[in-house]
Amino acid sequence: MCMACGHPQAPGHWTEAGAQSPGARLRARAEAAGVLDRLLRPLGLRVDDCHPVPGYRLAHVTGAVLIVQTPEDLWQGVESLLGRPYDPLHD
Amino acid sequence: MTDHTDPGTRLGLTILGGYLGAGKTTWARHQLHLGAFGPGVHVLVNEAAHAGVDDQLLPGPAQDVTLLAGGCACCIGLPRLIASLRDLCDRRSAGRHDLGHILLETSGLADPGAIARALAADPVLTRHLRITAIITLVDAQNGLDQLARDARFQAQVAAADRLILTKTETAPPRDLATLCAALSRLNPAVPPEAAHLGQPHPLPDLPPPGPLPLLADGVLDLTLVELDLPPVNWTRFALWLSALLHLRGEGLVRVKGLIPGPDGTILLQAVHRHVQPPEILPPQDGPGHIVLFGQGLDAATLTRALQRFATA
Repeated sequence: MCMACGHPQAPGHWTEAGAQSPGARLRARAEAAGVLDRLLRPLGLRVDDCHPVPGYRLAHVTGAVLIVQTPEDLWQGVESLLGRPYDPLHD
Repeated sequence: MTDHTDPGTRLGLTILGGYLGAGKTTWARHQLHLGAFGPGVHVLVNEAAHAGVDDQLLPGPAQDVTLLAGGCACCIGLPRLIASLRDLCDRRSAGRHDLGHILLETSGLADPGAIARALAADPVLTRHLRITAIITLVDAQNGLDQLARDARFQAQVAAADRLILTKTETAPPRDLATLCAALSRLNPAVPPEAAHLGQPHPLPDLPPPGPLPLLADGVLDLTLVELDLPPVNWTRFALWLSALLHLRGEGLVRVKGLIPGPDGTILLQAVHRHVQPPEILPPQDGPGHIVLFGQGLDAATLTRALQRFATA
């Protein structure tokens, strides 16, 4: 976007566009971790917010653990721990 | 600057085409900001979807904007386009001399050549309008794939008077060279140019091109899905979309939408798995709305999945 003719861009990762202040980003990350934990727990995965370190901690029932930074990394990590991709439309 | 006006005679019309996500609106709004089409520009924004997104990005007092939503201007939307153009011509004939030029931004699936032929065949418009240029924008990151998958993009390239490559800064040089070679095969008279966020940008020195892609001999079967979002905050929406793009980004050609956020309305734009940094627009009333173009999309399934993320 050109600064002269566009609208302000949300800083940071695109998934954080709804949280402009540091506090809002912390709350959003905690909420995201909770949502992910509830969605993925039936598949044998636990998700925690790594606060104060930025990122999410993925723990599989087998004991395997991954720390990822963004939701995009997270879905890749989920795929590697599950051995298949998570399907948001059918899982 | 090119003189786009034709005082006393026909009104100039620029047709801006290009495939889904090529950067048409970004290019147009910067060119409008620079005044590249002269004073008194009326912008017609054509969207295949029923709700507009791109028209929200072309604000400002410098030009009027009309949204032509609900169908490509080369086929389903053609009657509305012709009616709008006739209306503009009537207003000019009635003495509205502040109308200097028309810019038509087509939908990403429209064939600008078919539009030009239809306008030339219209007995009224052909006396009042002259097409000054058909400009086709080409996504340098995805152009090779689009040539190989969808004949609609080939038609957009073949119809162009100017071919402008976008996103060249992130395209591998060899792919860029191959794309330029393929474009020259389809439209030998037009040397490709490049632009970065609407501003002219020199093409880098390119290596020899690779093998040219096999061109698609049919149109890609794309489904258009429009979703009025259920009550969902941005965090949960972004999780859902990131999961969707991770698994199905290959078949999701384009996603764009306006989603309410705490600091304004968030403009979302994605091409396959690449999501642009969202822009924050002034707050708007109503629920969020997104438009998805892709293969095998089903609105009910998408909505159910989003509901799960919204309530988890």
